[in-house]
Amino acid sequence: MTPGMLGQLGLMLAVFFSVAGLVSVVAAWVLRDARYVRVARRAALLAFLGTLVAFGALEWALLTDDFSILYTARNHTTASPTWVKFATLWAALEGSILLWALLQTLYTWLAGLRMRDYWTSPVALGTLFAVQLFFLVNVLFVINPFTPVPNPPADGPGPNPLLQNHWMMAVHPILMYLGFVGLSVPFAHAIAAMVTRRYQTWVSETKWWLIFAWGFLTAAIFAGGWWSYEVLGWGGYWAWDPVENASFIPWLLATAFVHTAMVQERRSLFRSWNFALVTLAFAATVFGTFLTRSGVIESVHAFAGGPVGPIFLGFLLVILTTGFALLGRVSSEVRDAGSVRLWSREGLLLLGALVFVVMAFVVILGTLFPLLVEAFSGDKVSVGAPFFNQLFVPLGYAMLALMALGPVLPWRRAEPETLRALAAMAVALVLGTGVGLALGWTLWVSLTAGLFLFNLVALAWLVASPIARKARVLGGVRTGVGALAWSRRRYGGYLVHFAVALTALAIAFSQSYRLDVQKTLEIGESWQVAGRTITVHALRAVEESHRYSVIADVEVSGLGLLHPRLNYYRTSRTPFASPAVAYTLGKDYYLVLQAFDQKDSEWVTLRLVVTPLVLWLWASAVLMVLGTAMILWPSTRRVQVGRTPEVEA
Amino acid sequence: MKRIAFAVALVFSLALAQTVGNEPPPDLSPQVFEIAKKLRCPVCRGESAAESSAGVTEEMRRQIAEMLAEGKSEDEIIQYFVDRYTEWILYEPPKRGLGLVVWLAPLIGLGLFGFGLYGYLKTASRRERALSGLEDVSEEELARALAELERDDTSEEQP
Amino acid sequence: MRTVAGILVALAIGAILWWGMQTKDERSELPSALAGRPAPAFALEPLPSFRERWGGELDLADYLGKQPIVLNFWASWCYPACYEEAPILEAAWRRWGDRVLFVGVNTQDEIDKAEKFVTQFGLSFPNVYDPRGKVGIDYGMYGVPETFAISADGRVVRRHAGSIDATQLEAMIREVLP
Repeated sequence: MTPGMLGQLGLMLAVFFSVAGLVSVVAAWVLRDARYVRVARRAALLAFLGTLVAFGALEWALLTDDFSILYTARNHTTASPTWVKFATLWAALEGSILLWALLQTLYTWLAGLRMRDYWTSPVALGTLFAVQLFFLVNVLFVINPFTPVPNPPADGPGPNPLLQNHWMMAVHPILMYLGFVGLSVPFAHAIAAMVTRRYQTWVSETKWWLIFAWGFLTAAIFAGGWWSYEVLGWGGYWAWDPVENASFIPWLLATAFVHTAMVQERRSLFRSWNFALVTLAFAATVFGTFLTRSGVIESVHAFAGGPVGPIFLGFLLVILTTGFALLGRVSSEVRDAGSVRLWSREGLLLLGALVFVVMAFVVILGTLFPLLVEAFSGDKVSVGAPFFNQLFVPLGYAMLALMALGPVLPWRRAEPETLRALAAMAVALVLGTGVGLALGWTLWVSLTAGLFLFNLVALAWLVASPIARKARVLGGVRTGVGALAWSRRRYGGYLVHFAVALTALAIAFSQSYRLDVQKTLEIGESWQVAGRTITVHALRAVEESHRYSVIADVEVSGLGLLHPRLNYYRTSRTPFASPAVAYTLGKDYYLVLQAFDQKDSEWVTLRLVVTPLVLWLWASAVLMVLGTAMILWPSTRRVQVGRTPEVEA
Repeated sequence: MKRIAFAVALVFSLALAQTVGNEPPPDLSPQVFEIAKKLRCPVCRGESAAESSAGVTEEMRRQIAEMLAEGKSEDEIIQYFVDRYTEWILYEPPKRGLGLVVWLAPLIGLGLFGFGLYGYLKTASRRERALSGLEDVSEEELARALAELERDDTSEEQP
Repeated sequence: MRTVAGILVALAIGAILWWGMQTKDERSELPSALAGRPAPAFALEPLPSFRERWGGELDLADYLGKQPIVLNFWASWCYPACYEEAPILEAAWRRWGDRVLFVGVNTQDEIDKAEKFVTQFGLSFPNVYDPRGKVGIDYGMYGVPETFAISADGRVVRRHAGSIDATQLEAMIREVLP
């Protein structure tokens, strides 16, 4: 048995069991027999195991340097360190889709285990089977990584050097796919809800999955930003390039949906819109995959994306038309009734969702705009960071304001007691902005600081007032605090909100007060810049199995030695700069080795980027993930909540 | 997430700003990077001339530094590149003609979705009134509903 | 009604993306900002092997407006595109050299590597040395290789980005031939 054969076998089994699962849920639906759902669940497990075998086979080929299959022959090299070999699986098209398929089968299986509803389970599970079948069929028939190579080479070119430059590249795609694929579960439940005409409960049933996926999307976006920061050598974390935008759009739509889902749960409103939102959010994940693999946006020097472009476009359209066609029936049947005051929690939740949807609209239009202009006028335009940064300032302010106000206001209508909180928040906003301006910050940064304090006061009030109330009722602050343990989910949400406000602050400062300089220094020379003394002590070279590196030893006064380097990979004629960063709570000092004296090693050219508060961006990412985990952590209380007739497992 | 950009650049033979003839690259002031940030790197995707390490951007940054030293204004420098590369080189699309559409995107989005939301909320509240058969909910009823909600709230939070 | 609108929007986006995918190769043919405008002149030192014939400095202004010119930007580090087109350019120069001037602009390269490239392909049309790549930016170049056709009245007529093949080059030359 070779890895190639094992992989093919695994893929075939996965496709077979996916089809079997699909057939069983159709049987369950047509015959109204829940036993077939049980069969389908087993098929889901077997399909997952089949994909896992294929995944394992590809890892086997990579780790044992087996070049007899297409994927390794094209993307692998024996010189890679072990962790790079392992991560090479998702460094190129075929493998990344295989990883996607693996995660999709895993989600299908796990989501199937948690499906309880007699009516919706077959459709929801069927939708998931259909989605996973799409990916598996692609991997098996269109972009099969296990295609045998007639004359296996002794060694291959290896993966893109940029992907080997940092360990985060081994983690980031997995986080991203866990997020992308996770959105398929709420989507599947929404389809089931529309088909079975049970319009209300799907939202609460899939909320856990939604927030789970949201947490991974968030983590993935921050991880990608951190990777850019650590690897790309220009001291930034977000460049608004189409590939980044492709990951941001699903996040924005999922965030909007998280909030409108609360409105539906609480007030049975917005039901038809939620179907549209979840369809769009899931479609956006496929749209992102399409953009990154079709070469449609990269027009000048097109990147060969293989045959999957049209296939993913077709899949995208199928998702959208299915969703909207079903929605057509829903919107005539679901007649929401209820009045919403703007000045209430649901009013602001809807406004917040509106802001996120508008953000998504801006990103989509901005990303596709060059293509649109070219289609209609033949002109070429660029839409990039300066554009998005400007438009996201007002949108970000709206988000920050609503984020603080929403949770403070009660459902349905404002109470007098909240007015005190609002007054305190207003004072904080004015004070924060004023102090910022007095310190000489720009208006935009000051306003962000003001809104940060605005959020802080809101959160403080949200945390303190229930404690005070409980303490009044139960007697003693400690029991009050103790009772809070039961609202862990709520506090998880507050933590996420706090982290978002912190992110906004970090973005405002790091974007506004960045210093970027380049200078050539002799070895031993010192450079006074940005309040520090930078001294180049030495220039040396290091040889590793997969690369050759030139390293400068640079001292930044008060922060110790930094080692910016240039890495030379066998597969690339040009070196890749690997920056060195001194992280501090205030400013980051970021050094890039731009060039060095190749003859006598007498000078180096350094680029220095000094950016404030970047560290807080990564800190807020950790807080967001923690907050999400707090929301998701199963609470013992919720397990007993009964549901409609159960499908016995 | 610059995978594509770099793959493209590799295919197209990217020359890093490594010394030509072992001459050190020029010293660059923060202002150079400020201007370069607004221009795109012609050979790469999704990177500005400030970010890219491609050879052509190295020369662009050097020319910006030279023009600044000659006392040229930022607008003049940017125009210099627009003359050679068209407005495609600008990361901000022009605020006129078709370009205006994308600048107004937030307003278009807000109008489109805001109007939809407004229409939805109006219908929903009209329906509620029709269902309850009342022109408006009385204060008393609201108070009762609120009390009920309050109970729900606490029951959710207590053991 | 809303559903129909939603589906129509989805299909419209799909159509544009489809168009984008189908045309991605032809769209890569970038119109030059200089098209129809006078070609920028430059004066550069030829690579060592051309100094005997072309002197210590080749000034394009001496030829602009007098005869058609094909300008090719290349570098020795540009592999494989520049290596693919070098023989094609040399063959075309041998065929049309009496009526069209070919000038190679070696861009951001090292002199010895560039010389090796010239020897490897036996290039006989003049090649000048532009270590900084300044001329490339004057011509709004995206990246090497790029080829420009300049008409006999000294105007840029066409630009080709990327490796050029014999048919494309011939079409380009015929466009500027009087």
